[in-house]
Amino acid sequence: MFAQFTRIMRWCLLLLLCIPVLAGLVGVIFPALGYFPAIGANSFSLDVFRTLFALDDIWHMVWLSLFTGVGSTLLAMAGAFLLLATFYQSSWLEKVQGLLSPFLVFPHAAAAIALLFVLSPSGIFARLMVLGGDDVPPVAGSSFFPYDEFGFSVLLALSLKELPFIILMALSVMSQPLVKKKLLGYVNVGSSLGYSPTASFFKLVAPSIFTQIKLPILAVLVFATSNVEIPLILGSNNPSTLAVAIMHWFNHIDLSMRLLASGAAVLQVAVSGVALLLFFAVEHFLMYLGKQSLIKGRRHGADALVRGIGYGIVSLYVILISTVIYAVVMYSIAKHWSFPALLPEGVTFLHWGTALEALATPLVNSLLLGMLVSTSAMLLVLFTLESEQLKPAARHTNSAFSISLFLPLLVPGVAFLYGLVWFQQLVLQNAVWFHTYIAHMVYVVPYVFLSMAVAYRKFDNRYAMVAQSLGKTPWQVFYRIKLPLMLNAILVAWALGLAISFSQYLPTLLASGGTIATITTEAVASVSGSSTRLTAVYVIIQGAMPLIGFVIAWYLPGVLMKNRGASIKEKNKRRAVLHGT
Amino acid sequence: MALSLEKLVISRAENVLLNVNACVEKGQVLTVMGPSGAGKSTLLQAIAGQLYEPFSVSGIIKINNNVINRKPAHLRKVGMMFQDALLFEHMTVAENIAFAMPKNSHSNPHARMEAINTMLSAVELESMGQRGVNTLSGGQQSRVSLLRTLASAPDVVLLDEPFSKLDLALRGQIRSWTFEQLKARNIPAVLVTHDKEDAIAAGGQIIELSPC
Repeated sequence: MFAQFTRIMRWCLLLLLCIPVLAGLVGVIFPALGYFPAIGANSFSLDVFRTLFALDDIWHMVWLSLFTGVGSTLLAMAGAFLLLATFYQSSWLEKVQGLLSPFLVFPHAAAAIALLFVLSPSGIFARLMVLGGDDVPPVAGSSFFPYDEFGFSVLLALSLKELPFIILMALSVMSQPLVKKKLLGYVNVGSSLGYSPTASFFKLVAPSIFTQIKLPILAVLVFATSNVEIPLILGSNNPSTLAVAIMHWFNHIDLSMRLLASGAAVLQVAVSGVALLLFFAVEHFLMYLGKQSLIKGRRHGADALVRGIGYGIVSLYVILISTVIYAVVMYSIAKHWSFPALLPEGVTFLHWGTALEALATPLVNSLLLGMLVSTSAMLLVLFTLESEQLKPAARHTNSAFSISLFLPLLVPGVAFLYGLVWFQQLVLQNAVWFHTYIAHMVYVVPYVFLSMAVAYRKFDNRYAMVAQSLGKTPWQVFYRIKLPLMLNAILVAWALGLAISFSQYLPTLLASGGTIATITTEAVASVSGSSTRLTAVYVIIQGAMPLIGFVIAWYLPGVLMKNRGASIKEKNKRRAVLHGT
Repeated sequence: MALSLEKLVISRAENVLLNVNACVEKGQVLTVMGPSGAGKSTLLQAIAGQLYEPFSVSGIIKINNNVINRKPAHLRKVGMMFQDALLFEHMTVAENIAFAMPKNSHSNPHARMEAINTMLSAVELESMGQRGVNTLSGGQQSRVSLLRTLASAPDVVLLDEPFSKLDLALRGQIRSWTFEQLKARNIPAVLVTHDKEDAIAAGGQIIELSPC
């Protein structure tokens, strides 16, 4: 029976998400408590934590993680809501969405490297400033970007990367037919009561979308407090954030450092927990302020300021994106590029040749892994969503389900991945591809699910009812009606999964034990290497790879449905990554 | 006695939404009227076997004297039509109809296509078979939609406000044509509508559902 099959798939999906995370946590808790037979540690004690808290820099590391994580999330959220307030009713919304969508699939590592190219003391902006008459060339080390000891560069990079994600999540909620209708009604009532568009947004629209995107924002927060790539590339090493330190300790040649690393991983879970509490506190404070302002009845909410900031953020992104593109393209073909010059001296394709040669295997690995992960994630997600329609679950099981779905995003990766690797080495030592596959699935499935769930919610179920009433079995309805009608959304979700698999750094590095090189692992490694120009090529390839999937997603439906009338083609024009049919 | 609803009670969670006791003879149309929220569409979903939580149904639904309460939706042979034509956009007009035909209705694919062409030309849509459904006008889509339902050889047809989105000029025409087709094939039908004229044109028993 198809219905039973889909229910089994739903369980598979749940287990696939929960088992690795929970096993991974157990795998760090035991060593943290001093139990690690591999190096002869067999007794439980709290010695590891004593050593950990005796470290000079430990509280400084914790502070950096909290500051960059919470700070960047709040900044990104504020920016996202200001941007939405400015554009939510304007025809520019779609353009803004188109501008920001690529950021969702641009790997964190690539974003950090890209910022190096424009903001570092020898970057494009420094060159422009020198040419603009600022005689004193900035001295490396004295500038705030990168490697500043306060964590500002990390905070900035994280917020720039997370803001588009929050916006796209909000837009995908706002585009659901029922929500859309409700919000439009709210705005109309608001303006008929004399509230300005900005005031209507903050007093009526924002509160109702916020509750719906809270879970993704919490995932962003946990990610920001425990991310490795960005602080590794942009952060200070004196000290680093806790997550980066954990990674260094785990990878230390001295195996006994693993105990310390595991202890720190447990501490990282606590740090992310504290970050969540801080966030809730801020949320309650804002809600209190919001309630106060609701009663006061002010009809305007600093409209001009809000719009100014909104346009400012968009210009910032436009400037950053264009300078980044300019810088990396120029670097990638530069023979030599001395400091204040805006143009390189001489053009060569040598770096491209070298890079493509070096990247042949990583490229194949990335593609193979990505296709495998994304396709199987897609199938699991489709059957899971179908099982919900065939037999809707009760409300409490639903909320349990969505929490397990977000589990891998709510537990810091740097904490559970090491434990997972430990388990994987116990069970199947040599199945590197399988381990890496599982580690990727854990991160890809939630996003594919989010993306597809939107499409499923938007799907007009009367099509399925009609097909059933024509005598078609649930399987036939699924395969012959739903899949073709949701083809666009399915391909977009698949492309998203592909992009997320491409961008995985830590899961690839750890699960494969460094044996499977991908574009992303190579790009991060190249930052500490010798050639800036080679790094530029890596960034370009990293940024272009996610596009493969999306190009397929945009053109394939058009080709498949060539003869099916004009209006379908119209619908194929999709910009937003998270938007389905 | 083609379709009979015996002491049918539909509830939402614990609350009774509506109860119905009615029979529809072959070729007759039962009209169900009532304000929005009275459960008209829910009643049709119960007959079609597509009623889900939090709704539940008790009582007996019989088609040609067989109790179908426990039958899965796709085996009930109950055709359903909505106010939108809901033609499948990834199929041509002919494919939409072919999709609906029972598996062994014709000896070979060629005979199937012949039958479809005959059906199409009977409603002045000859040579439209290979067209994409989005190239059709609203009235044409309605006609194809009914042809598709009839092609599945249903025992009962359920109509959920099928004419409400058509403009006035077209409505009367499609309406009388639909009822003619159902009558000619001796199919019992249930029509849900807001429109008094629909009810009069249907010419059968009328049930008023009260709001609750």
